Amino acid sequence: MNSIVSIRDVVKEYELGTTVVQALRGVSLEVMKGEFLSIAGPSGSGKTTLLNLIGCVDTATRGVVEVAGKDTAKLTERELTDLRLNTIGFIFQSFNLVAVLNVFQNVEFPLLLQRKLGSKERRDRVMNLLEQVGLHTHAKHRPSELSGGQRQRVAVARALVTDPLLVLADEPTANLDSATGNQIIDLMKELNQKKGTTFIFSTHDHKVMQHANAVIRLADGKVLARESAKDAVAHALSLGEAPAEAPAGARV
Amino acid sequence: MTIFDPMLWLIAVRSLFQHRIRTSLLGAAIAVVTALLVSLAGIYVGMKTTLLVSATTLMSGHVNVAGFYKSTASSSAPVVTQYQKLREIVQRDVKDLDYVVQRGRGWAKLISDTGSMQVGIGGIDIVNEPGFVKVVQLKEGSLEGLKQPDGLLLFEEQAKKLDVKVGDKLTFSAPTFKGTNNTIDVTVVAIAANIGMLSSWNTYMSDTGLRQLYQLNDETTGALQIYIKDISKVRAVQESLRKAFAAEGFELMDTDPRPFFSKFDGVNRESWTGQKLDITNWEDETSFVQWFVTILTVAATTVIFVLTVIIGVGIMNVMWISIRERTREIGTLRAVGMQRRSVLAMFVTEGFLLGLMGTTVGVAIGGLASFLLNNAAIKLPKGAQLVLMSEKLIVAPTAGWVVFAVIFITSVITLISLIPSFLAARLKPISAMSHVG
Ligand SMILES: Nc1ncnc2c1ncn2[C@@H]1O[C@H](COP(=O)(O)OP(=O)(O)OP(=O)(O)O)[C@@H](O)[C@H]1O
Ligand SMILES: [Mg+2]
Repeated sequence: MNSIVSIRDVVKEYELGTTVVQALRGVSLEVMKGEFLSIAGPSGSGKTTLLNLIGCVDTATRGVVEVAGKDTAKLTERELTDLRLNTIGFIFQSFNLVAVLNVFQNVEFPLLLQRKLGSKERRDRVMNLLEQVGLHTHAKHRPSELSGGQRQRVAVARALVTDPLLVLADEPTANLDSATGNQIIDLMKELNQKKGTTFIFSTHDHKVMQHANAVIRLADGKVLARESAKDAVAHALSLGEAPAEAPAGARV
Repeated sequence: MTIFDPMLWLIAVRSLFQHRIRTSLLGAAIAVVTALLVSLAGIYVGMKTTLLVSATTLMSGHVNVAGFYKSTASSSAPVVTQYQKLREIVQRDVKDLDYVVQRGRGWAKLISDTGSMQVGIGGIDIVNEPGFVKVVQLKEGSLEGLKQPDGLLLFEEQAKKLDVKVGDKLTFSAPTFKGTNNTIDVTVVAIAANIGMLSSWNTYMSDTGLRQLYQLNDETTGALQIYIKDISKVRAVQESLRKAFAAEGFELMDTDPRPFFSKFDGVNRESWTGQKLDITNWEDETSFVQWFVTILTVAATTVIFVLTVIIGVGIMNVMWISIRERTREIGTLRAVGMQRRSVLAMFVTEGFLLGLMGTTVGVAIGGLASFLLNNAAIKLPKGAQLVLMSEKLIVAPTAGWVVFAVIFITSVITLISLIPSFLAARLKPISAMSHVG
């Protein structure tokens, strides 16, 4: 009833020539409105694949993916596109900025597509967001002129600019130093608390994980567990995943 | 979003501007094709018009009222009697008449001190010949002299062959229609620049002088040359004149689309005597010109077609590559919520704008090139001079061709840009985004 994402028995297969790779092998998942959910798991475990399905940029081989109460398999291409534009904000692992547009234009683009705001309002909204991610001085730069971390922040701003109900973030802090990473997490957290925006983000970083309400642990295309942030962090540490910047007391 | 959405134009303009290197390369290619098309069409129109104007002015008119007078069944003279009355009917009945002139026709031996040649003679009433003055370019002397009964105009080629200059005296010798031989003395009053093959076999003198040579009366001439404002209406004018002349009691020959000099044998075999009129048009009288126009048209069309295809394929390749490069971009745009149709509309708008800008620049370049080519007065090779009845290259770009070039090339570019973007927009956003290459 209050779930925004509902996934049941989803299988995703990729065909590579004659072999078939199973990226997801029967995943079920329920995400409530207003959750701040983390998806964790080793490389290749299927995090990106899962987010792509939720983000309606890819389709499942089998199973049901419901987003905002709609079975995505039953939507037309048009309706899926509308859903991506108006309901979902997606921060891609590889940023996917439009190379020929500058920072400002990249962030403004979804607003242009929505056609709800005039040019002045768009400007204010975009510049405000760019300031929050610390890039207002780079508005005129092209993506190629930015560092990986800066590009990531443009992608964040673009995903948030339409005020979507659901934000999907694929390793949103992977390229950021911890200070900027924290800043981005704080921004997301603030939106989550003030506006009730739902966040689903994948991460390796347990420092990011600890902000989550819950952590979904993926391995080999299957959900291993849904656990609290605390357990997940402990689990991560026990597996020997070195924290990016361990607290002083944790050092042996 | 539809194609008329200002938002789409904003995005398209932005995208063109951001891809400025590609935009300017493609735009330049489009401009070059357009410029070539406009200049080539200009050459085609310029040469064709010159050819038609020269031929019709000097030889036939648009509609030609001639005929034969037979004193006996087997002797015919290529003349029309009572030409003043015929001219009145023409002036009264022909709609959109530009002007009408009478021309004497002769074929005589021209003898100088050093040589002689067989030439045609056009007998002209220079005072009433508005077109002649414009077509003939004098190298020496003046057309004023043609007002004198013994004034003669030669072309450079003939003057050289006969070794004469303005002021020199020559003699014409011809059999009259009564069967005796007659000669008159003439003075070269003007030497004109060569006009194609015409310069080798035609000369001009005053109509009065020509009448003296052939001992004809004042009411007789060779033909009436009728010029109308719209040359495509010749057939209608021919028809209406046939009726008008018949109604006034003139005898008419059957319509026969051959030049007058091919008709002697046929006419001599018929049994009638007296005057009969023969109404033809410029295509009949100057069928060789018609042939050259066809060759010119085929040549121009072939060149333009080949050119368009070659460069069209080139542009298509560049557009194709650029859109393949942009597959990732299309995937991203689709992933953040751009509809398939909007992607297409965006590319169409881009293609349209690109085409419009390129062709506009191209038209300007083509216009300038035409102007410069005209001013350079490039001399045509001898063979081309003969056929095209012009010594130099004449380029006349027309509004019609300019509009055609802009619309045609812009449409082609727009269509070309549609195909690959259609393919890219059909991909799943994630496939397009992870597209390599
Ligand atoms: N387009 C594709 N074609 C074929 N196989 C794919 C494709 N995308 C992903 N895979 C495979 O699916 C599995 C899951 O990949 P996925 O990208 O979802 O993992 P991930 O958890 O996001 O990894 P990482 O942490 O490295 O980003 C992997 O085995 C991968 O090789
Ligand atoms: Mg991934």
